[in-house]
Amino acid sequence: MFAYIVRRLGMMMVVVFGASFMAYNLEAYSSDPLAELQQSTAPNKQYLIERLTRDLMLDVPPPIRYFNWLKGLVAGLWGQFDLGMTRDKHSVAEYIGAAIPTTFRLVIGSTVLAIVIGITIGMVTAIRQYSRFDYSMTFVAFLLFSLPVFWVAVLLKEYLAIQFNDFLLDPHMTWPYIIAFSLFAGLLWASIIGGERRRFYAVFVGVFVGNAILLEVLSLTSWFIQPGLGIAGVAVFGGVIAVAVTQISTGLDDKKALYASLITAGLVVAAYYPLQLVMNDKASLLTVIALFAGVLVAAGAVGYFITKIDRRAIMRTAMLTGFLAMIPVVVDRFMQEFGAYYKSDAINGRPIPTMGQANQLLTPEQAHNFWINSLDGFTHVFLPTVALTLISFAGYVRFSRGSLLEVLNMDYIRTARAKGLTERTVIVRHALRNAMLPLTTILVNDFAGVIGGAIITESIFGWKGMGSLFNQAIGSYDLNLFMGVFIISSFLTVLANLVADLLFGVMDPRIRIRK
Amino acid sequence: MKATRIVRAVAGVAISGLTIAGLSVAAVAPAGAAARSTVVMMETSALTSLNGGTPDTNLVTNTDVGYLTGMGFIYYDNKPNLIRNTKFGHFEVVKKTATDFQVKYTVNKGQVWSDGTPIDAVDLLLSHVLSSGKYSIAAGLGDPSVSTAAFDSVGYGGTYDGHVVGTPVLSADKMSLTIKYDSFQPEWEILGPGPSPVHTLELLAAGKTKLGTAKENLAAKAAFLKDFTTKNTAQLKKIGAIWSKSFNIKTVDSSTNPLLLVCNGAFKVASAVADQSVTMVLNPKYNSGPAMTKTNPITKVIFSFIADGSPSYQALRNGDIDIYDGQPDAAGVAQLKAIRSATVYGGVSMTYEHVDLRVGAANGDKTEYTGPFAGDTQKAKDLRHAFLLALPRGDILDSQVKPFNPSGVVMNSHFTLPGQTGYSTIVAGSGVSEYTTGTQAERTAKALALVKKYYPTASATVQPVDIKFLFKGSQRRIDENKLIAAEEAKAGFNVSTTPNAAWSSNLSNVSYDLAMFAWAPSSVSQTGTNANFQTDGGNNHSGWGNAELDKILHSLEAYLTPAQITAKYLAAEKIVNANYYTLPLYQWPTTIAANTALKGIKSAPLTPNVVWNFWEWHY
Amino acid sequence: MAKKNQEVEQTTEKNENEISLRETAGLSQGQIIFRRFVRHRAAMFSLFSIVFIILFTYTASGIHLGSEKNPITVPGWWGHTIEEIDVAGANANLCENGIPGCPTLDILPSFIDGTGMQIGPHPFGQESLGTDYFALVMRGAEQSIMVMLVVGLLGVAIGTTIGAIAGFYGGWVDAILMRVTDLFLVTPTLIIGAVIGFRFGNAGVFPLAIMIGVFSWMGLARFVRTEFLSLREREFVDAARVAGASNARIIFKHILPNAIGIIIVAGTLLLSGSILLESALSYLGFGVQSPDVSLGLLISHYQDTFTVSPWLFFWPGFFIITIALCINFIGDGLRDAFDPRQKRRITKKDREQAKAAAKAGA
Repeated sequence: MFAYIVRRLGMMMVVVFGASFMAYNLEAYSSDPLAELQQSTAPNKQYLIERLTRDLMLDVPPPIRYFNWLKGLVAGLWGQFDLGMTRDKHSVAEYIGAAIPTTFRLVIGSTVLAIVIGITIGMVTAIRQYSRFDYSMTFVAFLLFSLPVFWVAVLLKEYLAIQFNDFLLDPHMTWPYIIAFSLFAGLLWASIIGGERRRFYAVFVGVFVGNAILLEVLSLTSWFIQPGLGIAGVAVFGGVIAVAVTQISTGLDDKKALYASLITAGLVVAAYYPLQLVMNDKASLLTVIALFAGVLVAAGAVGYFITKIDRRAIMRTAMLTGFLAMIPVVVDRFMQEFGAYYKSDAINGRPIPTMGQANQLLTPEQAHNFWINSLDGFTHVFLPTVALTLISFAGYVRFSRGSLLEVLNMDYIRTARAKGLTERTVIVRHALRNAMLPLTTILVNDFAGVIGGAIITESIFGWKGMGSLFNQAIGSYDLNLFMGVFIISSFLTVLANLVADLLFGVMDPRIRIRK
Repeated sequence: MKATRIVRAVAGVAISGLTIAGLSVAAVAPAGAAARSTVVMMETSALTSLNGGTPDTNLVTNTDVGYLTGMGFIYYDNKPNLIRNTKFGHFEVVKKTATDFQVKYTVNKGQVWSDGTPIDAVDLLLSHVLSSGKYSIAAGLGDPSVSTAAFDSVGYGGTYDGHVVGTPVLSADKMSLTIKYDSFQPEWEILGPGPSPVHTLELLAAGKTKLGTAKENLAAKAAFLKDFTTKNTAQLKKIGAIWSKSFNIKTVDSSTNPLLLVCNGAFKVASAVADQSVTMVLNPKYNSGPAMTKTNPITKVIFSFIADGSPSYQALRNGDIDIYDGQPDAAGVAQLKAIRSATVYGGVSMTYEHVDLRVGAANGDKTEYTGPFAGDTQKAKDLRHAFLLALPRGDILDSQVKPFNPSGVVMNSHFTLPGQTGYSTIVAGSGVSEYTTGTQAERTAKALALVKKYYPTASATVQPVDIKFLFKGSQRRIDENKLIAAEEAKAGFNVSTTPNAAWSSNLSNVSYDLAMFAWAPSSVSQTGTNANFQTDGGNNHSGWGNAELDKILHSLEAYLTPAQITAKYLAAEKIVNANYYTLPLYQWPTTIAANTALKGIKSAPLTPNVVWNFWEWHY
Repeated sequence: MAKKNQEVEQTTEKNENEISLRETAGLSQGQIIFRRFVRHRAAMFSLFSIVFIILFTYTASGIHLGSEKNPITVPGWWGHTIEEIDVAGANANLCENGIPGCPTLDILPSFIDGTGMQIGPHPFGQESLGTDYFALVMRGAEQSIMVMLVVGLLGVAIGTTIGAIAGFYGGWVDAILMRVTDLFLVTPTLIIGAVIGFRFGNAGVFPLAIMIGVFSWMGLARFVRTEFLSLREREFVDAARVAGASNARIIFKHILPNAIGIIIVAGTLLLSGSILLESALSYLGFGVQSPDVSLGLLISHYQDTFTVSPWLFFWPGFFIITIALCINFIGDGLRDAFDPRQKRRITKKDREQAKAAAKAGA
């Protein structure tokens, strides 16, 4: 196995070398760097043309120029790694070093969201195959699949930023909107929960009425510009989370697990006021991490002391509950900050921006306040994340649906059902795990595609990540920059393929990797 | 299980309520911005250097930052007239003979750099280093025409470099500088030096990372003067490396060496986030140029980097930026005009579109041109004449300019722009009226008659003359090509409609019969057009050559009164038209859109475009 | 009573299974797949839609082949061409908000908006030079469909060949082919588009389609390879080998039919992906070059006009989404049809019949 990996890595070098040669020459022949100067009427045009020719070595044929570039890369072997300079005289390495975190900040959130939402919906559609929900989700998934991202971005900016900001000037939702949203929510939940016709209508009416009342109350209390959950909201969320987690994890029949979860959620709610003191203006990311760690420990303890039987499962349930129940508390803390953020000079009443990574008008105090700073970062990352999630989660829906359906049709599932296991146990314990396996290879490949995948999104939202760097390099005939981005992304792609191959071999023992 | 269902339903309400809150939409008119003092302006590219003077950093954003942070003897207004900045100093010709032309520049007393150091004429000396290749060679800094010199400047190889004599002479009080040229320079007003904080360069060369004391600064300035006059190669090389490289920073924060930020402009760079934005705040010591307006002036300017097109339209609409300064297409302008909180300011640029007919092989090309327009035979002239007659310039204006600028006009002179001195005289007498009188249908009919002389079969449906047309694949050019091809077809020309992305390297390619592109002048200049028309001129790609024309163009390189200049332009233009070489189409429209609350925005045709009068901006 | 119910339920399930079995009794594999596909209503509807769209667009704008010098053109039934310009006409036909070239299509009958239903001379409006937008959209759809088909065919052909050979032979053949795949995988499509646009921009859409096709078979090849790797270890392949079948026979007669499902599914994904890829490339300026048109070029050019002249982006967007949606549904139908384990959907009617039969039996 080790020898195989070493050989694959060696081959990888050859592939990247070949591909880089090809890419270098293609790029070199893809545009004319002197075009702009030709239009100039400057008296020293000739000097500028000669200077550029010299600087970019335009008189040297690209295949030979390539080796000049390669020299810097090979020098990496003895530590003098040199990717060269960009056309605007910055080090390529510095450019890329700044771009990678940007891209990750942009893509990680949306990828995680897409995976979580996509797989959840995919599983639900598989379990409710050929239901109304399945049909509508299939349609929605394919629709999103078919949308160009730049188009999605334009629409999102229009409705989620510009019009939403306009709405916040008078944050009262009108009745047509309330009815429309409540209808949507009612249909959504009714079709997810499914069941007999009577139950369908009961859920629909319940959600519809509840939602309409909720939205009206939120409107009347100007909640949208002065949001918050309060201890009541946290308590409601905590209770729901406790029940839901228990239901999925062990089933509600396991009373001990249910009590452990409820006690954990209760602890979080009880700690609401003390926690407000901890989450003060001097808090940092570390504070939040510490809080979550604390909750996990406390929840673990609750689980541990409540029972001796099936301790691990119950502890797991309690900890998951604690973790999830803590989220509303933190979200509530951010919401408390929103009112002031919204009214501050920097925001000027328009909290959702359409571009950029951070608001440059924040005062130093605001910029140093963890809550405001994070809120600002969140509002900036919000639209691009939604855009990327929308276009990518559909794929996960389809993949996970197909994968779970395949597993559900297998004999061992039939056996499990025949044993009399509950449907919950069959799906959660038996089917899900095996259905997830093939998805890992897709995940690995998607990860590699991350760098190139956000070219359009990055440029539309004014983020300077790897994608827009790549676009910039091609547009401005910046060969060194182009090759820098190319090398990183091609290494990642080839590496991901290797990992995918290895994972595949591990997962399906019938496949032999030929030595 | 019933309890669970209710709990689920409640969760459903809660969760969907929260998620949906984000989706809500209502039509409410955006509020007018409250009294602000910050302007966020869009730039399509990122800041790459605080020094826009090297060939690699001479980019719009860098030079815009340079304009806000630096002031010299001159600037262009929106006419564009060259305005002398009398707050900074004054300059005048002190000697004018056939071989000796001297200009004296005097800096006003009492001005300071942002670190408090007085500004004097020593600060003007660096300009000479940056523009004179001869000085660079003499000082051992390298020959810029062969390899990159110590100062990697964009200024070498120009008129100044070609005609300056010796080194500039400093007056005794060090407040004046006299520059000597070998002959009269028509562009003398724009050749002058600009101030640079030379003391900071010396301090940077000495490895300093903090602002100097008053005494240190003066000593450093004296050191620079000494290095300059004694041509201290080693020290100048060090300074050159700093000037060329150290200013190439994208991030400015508290760790940035403050010596890099010393300036004399109204604003100074306060911070910059790499590839995101650059923030400039008022320079309290500013007294080198027009004073900031009194009512609600701007105290902070942010350049925010975002792509042109819908991202920036929507950013303006959402209030993320206050000024849009890009190149929208017609659909984009409609989009900008639809923004209720913004005002669109149309204007014209110095860049102008033109069509050049090929007469022969261009300078240096050995392949002969044999197309229909080749040479000076009557047939070639008639065909060129016919082609220009059928050029639908009015339609092009209607589709390419009117949506942006309803008062746009067809351009009728190569040597002057509409509205400039002498333009109407030249247009009246140059013979261009042939292309402006009557309707396009009449002109096209005339053109067809001319073509029929040689191709009797020619008609509105039969096109015997094949014309290969060189143009770029941009929407603007494609639309223009479509209009031209349609109209020329009625005159018997079969015009190709395929664009060429590599147009610029094909300008001298004899397989093309004509080219359409734009000239983008960076200054108003008496002889700026010469290279386009002189036989073998650097910008003459179409093989034009006329001895008489060369003579007139050469005579422009002298001190002339405006009336004399107009007369010469008229004579030159007559020859150009008589030979049917080329016709101008229109000046590119510029479109600025700004937050309506922001007052004082005026679009200008030359760089730095909209920021030229930042001191007049106010809310 | 409860016991009785349970019994009915069990019998029902049995009968349901029988329905499935009865359906497929005595049919060949191909017939079974065909029947399953036909029963997938969304897929069938999509199939008809896409055939209709292709026929509609190709007959509307005619067929355009050849180079600029020697065009081969079959005119279509639509009266306007994309070369036509009519600035005055567009300016004469202003919309309410003053935008020239308003669409004349009116699908609302007169009792709703006062004007009658009509198609008019320019149903989709006119763009800035007065060129008929319906003609542009039709021509764009024609080009985009062409790109899609070329990419799909090339991708499937190359991908299947490479994947099959690599997966079947394994060893160094596999290693080399997979590294070649990697080589293509890491070469960014964007740069291919840039080079094509710059060097061969004049040659029309076809070279772009070929190049995109040549650079988009890799995912499919990897899928096919994995499938082959797993299938060749199966008993039926061993059986064929023992029976003396040649490699070619094993590949074509035994393994390929089993892998055809995954090829078709991946192929349809490739098709719908290529139409989006083309639009993304056009958005970045590296795709189809003006004055050629494609749906991607139109939508990226007019994507920001939705507040002032929404029809300019709506129609190309409508066609892109419809085509991609149809292809995806067809792919979904094929996937279901090819999956041997997939049960056919038991409709309520079937279930009631089964229940009735069970009750009758009980």
